[in-house]
Amino acid sequence: MGRGLVWIVLALAILWSAASAEMGLDKLPGAAPRLGEFLGRMMPPDLSVWREVLQGLAETLRIAILGTFFAVLLSAGLAVLAAETLVPAAVWRPVRGLLAMIRSIPLILVAMLMVGAVGLGPLPGILAITFHATGMLAKFYAEAIDNVAAAPVAALESAGASRTQQLRWAIWPQMAPVILRDTVFRFELNLRESLILGVVGAGGIGLYVQTYVRSFQYDKAATVTMAIVVLVLASEAVNSALHKRFS
Amino acid sequence: MTAAFTLNAVSHHFDGAAALREVSLSAAPGERVALLGPSGAGKSTLLALLDGRLRGWHGEAGVLGVPLSATHALPRELRTGAGFIFQEFALVDRLTVYQNVMNGRLARMRTWPSLWGRFGEQDHLKVAAALEDTGLSGLARRRADQLSGGQRQRVAIARCLAQEPRLVLADEPVSNLDPAHAERILGLITGAADKRGIGVVFSSHQPELARRFAGRVVGLRAGAVQFDKPSGQVTSDDIDALYHGAAPGAGLRVVS
Repeated sequence: MGRGLVWIVLALAILWSAASAEMGLDKLPGAAPRLGEFLGRMMPPDLSVWREVLQGLAETLRIAILGTFFAVLLSAGLAVLAAETLVPAAVWRPVRGLLAMIRSIPLILVAMLMVGAVGLGPLPGILAITFHATGMLAKFYAEAIDNVAAAPVAALESAGASRTQQLRWAIWPQMAPVILRDTVFRFELNLRESLILGVVGAGGIGLYVQTYVRSFQYDKAATVTMAIVVLVLASEAVNSALHKRFS
Repeated sequence: MTAAFTLNAVSHHFDGAAALREVSLSAAPGERVALLGPSGAGKSTLLALLDGRLRGWHGEAGVLGVPLSATHALPRELRTGAGFIFQEFALVDRLTVYQNVMNGRLARMRTWPSLWGRFGEQDHLKVAAALEDTGLSGLARRRADQLSGGQRQRVAIARCLAQEPRLVLADEPVSNLDPAHAERILGLITGAADKRGIGVVFSSHQPELARRFAGRVVGLRAGAVQFDKPSGQVTSDDIDALYHGAAPGAGLRVVS
């Protein structure tokens, strides 16, 4: 009975989504040749725009780096307030709720709000990345704090180590690899997500994607796309290398 | 000379249940004492108290001439006096054997250089000696999480020795080891303590090991001292009463 109901709801949901006059299903048969033509116009890529592309990539990279940097600073503070083992539930519960709320707002929405608040350029991008990334990073850091084994810390305390010494030689060694891994992971996400920030005017290479596609310069858009693919693959390679190093 | 420790009518409760009942006990410097008893007898609580880590107890207690407080931790320069070997070893897994042992010396260093890993000549010498005594010299650069259980136990012992304690406390040091290993580890702890002329208090639930490696056996049951005798005078009746007799003060309860 219950299972049958699930299938019925699922079927209804699909029918409801498809039963719309504005879907334009009639365009589908013509789509393949059009797509072919579109791709054809991307060939050969116009490499003459490499200067703009490099500039855009550099700006995207800077947005991701600064956004990650400020997110790390904010997360370090918030993580302490979100750690179950450090503060009472009256503190960590609301803080974690706040972080979950921050995470639930899509980056592109934050970026549009930031552009509205501070104008066009890389600054709203940096602010948006900082805000968005903190929602995840502070939670990860808090979990890293909560997962520190208590016994080694107690052992150092029993041996007379000071609080800072305990932090340095019992707590930090347990946390550091986790923190580093989470931060690198978040940086890679920031880099990927900041690629599209330019579409809403928040700086970076997204601006060129937007400009070239809108002005039908597909050969130039192709160059930008290739550059983005290279950047993402490179960041993935760096990330997986670091993963192996710090496990 | 001051006693290794003195306890006068010490009681302690965990959530309303008695963990220690009116325990009065003392030991001379250099004495080897085994705390024997079934699990839940109060052995770990008593050792934590001697290590200065227990709060909220009642009575009078002093270790190495320093009175303990039921409300405050010892100042950290006094915490080096009693060295503690934890049951689950309590090592920092991602650090090397060498650094784990060095951690035992942190109280004797100036904080600032120690945070940067700049340790003194004397500290390196003491760590080397502790590694030598525990047969770990060859494993110094190994990470703690790459060791076997027995090796980890020896790192915990080395860290305790590097602390240069004047009394060694060991909580069930051999409960996780097979009999051959257990004898070697207890021999190691007591031998190292003898070499330094300091006493050992260890807990165990194995009567034969307690009798063999301690000069004196204190039988604990339900938080109270049931007997306190030189090892040679502990009889099998004592052991039977300890493990199978009625709990003192508990009376008879019908459990349905």
